[in-house]
Amino acid sequence: MRSFFTIWRRELASCFLSPVAYVTLVIFLSVSGWLFVQAAVGGSGSVESLEVLLFMAIFFWVPILTTVISMRLFSEEKRLGTLETLMTAPVSDTEVILGKYAGALTFLFIVIYPAVSYIYILRALSPGLTTIDTGGIVGGCLMLALVSAASMALGLLVSLLTKNQIVAAICIFCAVWAPFFMKSMVSVLPFGSETILDYISIETHIIDFARGSVDTRPVALYLSWTVFVLFAAVRLLEVRRWK
Amino acid sequence: MIKVANLTKRFGRQTVLDNLSFEVKRGEIVGFLGPNGAGKTTTMRILACYLPPTGGSVTIDGLDVLNDSLDVRRRIGYLPENVPMYQDMRVIEYLRYRAHLKGLRGRTLRSRIEEVISRCGLGDVRRRIIGVLSKGYRQRVGLADALVHDPEVLILDEPTIGLDPNQIRHIRNLIKSLAQRHTVLLSTHILPEVEMVCERVLIINKGQIVAADTADNLVGLIKGNLQIVLEVQGPAEAMLNTIKGVKGVAGVQHETTGEWSRFTCTCDSGIDVRTELFQVVAENRWTLRELKVEKRNLEDVFVSMTMKETDW
Repeated sequence: MRSFFTIWRRELASCFLSPVAYVTLVIFLSVSGWLFVQAAVGGSGSVESLEVLLFMAIFFWVPILTTVISMRLFSEEKRLGTLETLMTAPVSDTEVILGKYAGALTFLFIVIYPAVSYIYILRALSPGLTTIDTGGIVGGCLMLALVSAASMALGLLVSLLTKNQIVAAICIFCAVWAPFFMKSMVSVLPFGSETILDYISIETHIIDFARGSVDTRPVALYLSWTVFVLFAAVRLLEVRRWK
Repeated sequence: MIKVANLTKRFGRQTVLDNLSFEVKRGEIVGFLGPNGAGKTTTMRILACYLPPTGGSVTIDGLDVLNDSLDVRRRIGYLPENVPMYQDMRVIEYLRYRAHLKGLRGRTLRSRIEEVISRCGLGDVRRRIIGVLSKGYRQRVGLADALVHDPEVLILDEPTIGLDPNQIRHIRNLIKSLAQRHTVLLSTHILPEVEMVCERVLIINKGQIVAADTADNLVGLIKGNLQIVLEVQGPAEAMLNTIKGVKGVAGVQHETTGEWSRFTCTCDSGIDVRTELFQVVAENRWTLRELKVEKRNLEDVFVSMTMKETDW
């Protein structure tokens, strides 16, 4: 497991070695802040709580962030050929997958979590706003972690399949974006059951968690999904060597 | 140390390695030669546990590359063909990262890194970013990476490609100095280098070993028919006919520039006609300024073993 930490550190450091990290950080923090303020101003008088608006504003950008961060994970290693040096070092496939995954996920957390502070900044600036539901914040943060983990796993799996970053980016974006807005997409169709969709719709989960109602079923869903996808990724890395 | 038995590798329907068998003993430096596409890189990748063999067995220090892959990788230092590296890291950071991956820690790690930096002459560039280094320096960083964990076996895929003559000499000496404690298998296209560095040579063509011996023995193999070159001043026609008439000369090629003619005689096998040639030249009172045996080298061996007329 020692190599895991080495790979993790290298992966996290590599994010900050490229300008992409800083650009992503700045753009994300600006647009999510703007979206939150717009929603808060525009939604004044509505029943939707500020916590829900905040987390919706953050979650909206998660598919894009995941795409930007995960598209290079393995595609770049393949393109540069460094996968060869990596896989001929004494490290197991599992360590490689988990190390890279953990590095990318840590970076995603570093980018998105500061945005949660917006609600506290808003409170400091507007005297009319006094109570913030801590339960909603905790629930939202938990959901944020779970969804990020699940999307990043999917992104890593896709980046294993191609050495072209553009192809990887497009596929990851579609794969991650679809479940986010599946409910809004399917609900316009004449068929499909709302109840089943509610079980798997990320949108529904976010709204529930940001209201402070932490349900164990989505937790189990995202965790098992993440584990399953990472397991598949380890197998896929192995398969690549058997061709 | 390295034992390859009936190794076969197929990519889809294409057979790249076909029943390859060879052995490298502990402490040996072995040169691995072959034309492009012969299967050198594939063989080396299999030895380095990057690709699995389709058939046959490969063991390093008694460990199987499939079943004990991690243990094998700990014992191997591998320099891939194009020396892939992270472009955005500094030399020292990269070496530290690689040494960490290979299980070095603490004081051992620092002392090993210092040693490979000085051995590979990287002192001046240790804080440089790899992406801006010249090909020669990158090659040396790759070599430093391969050496950093002091492996028993070194597998070097074209270690001197892209280096200038001084650097090549430096790397050559480095590899020679490794021989005492390490086993080295290196592939290259620079044949004089193999003659200088390697104790033994393996020549591979179309996925099969076509020759495996010391460079001298291999040169001896094709020596069979001696070639003698002589340069003489005199009447060209007469000289050609006389030389053709010498007993033991199988064929003559000649070119005339001004007064001097240059003849290349191929002898019948096992016969050296230098004495006879000198005598006919002396009898006719022609002027002789050169008489020599054309020395065969590894290049001739390489060409005769791997090239067919139809190849071009």
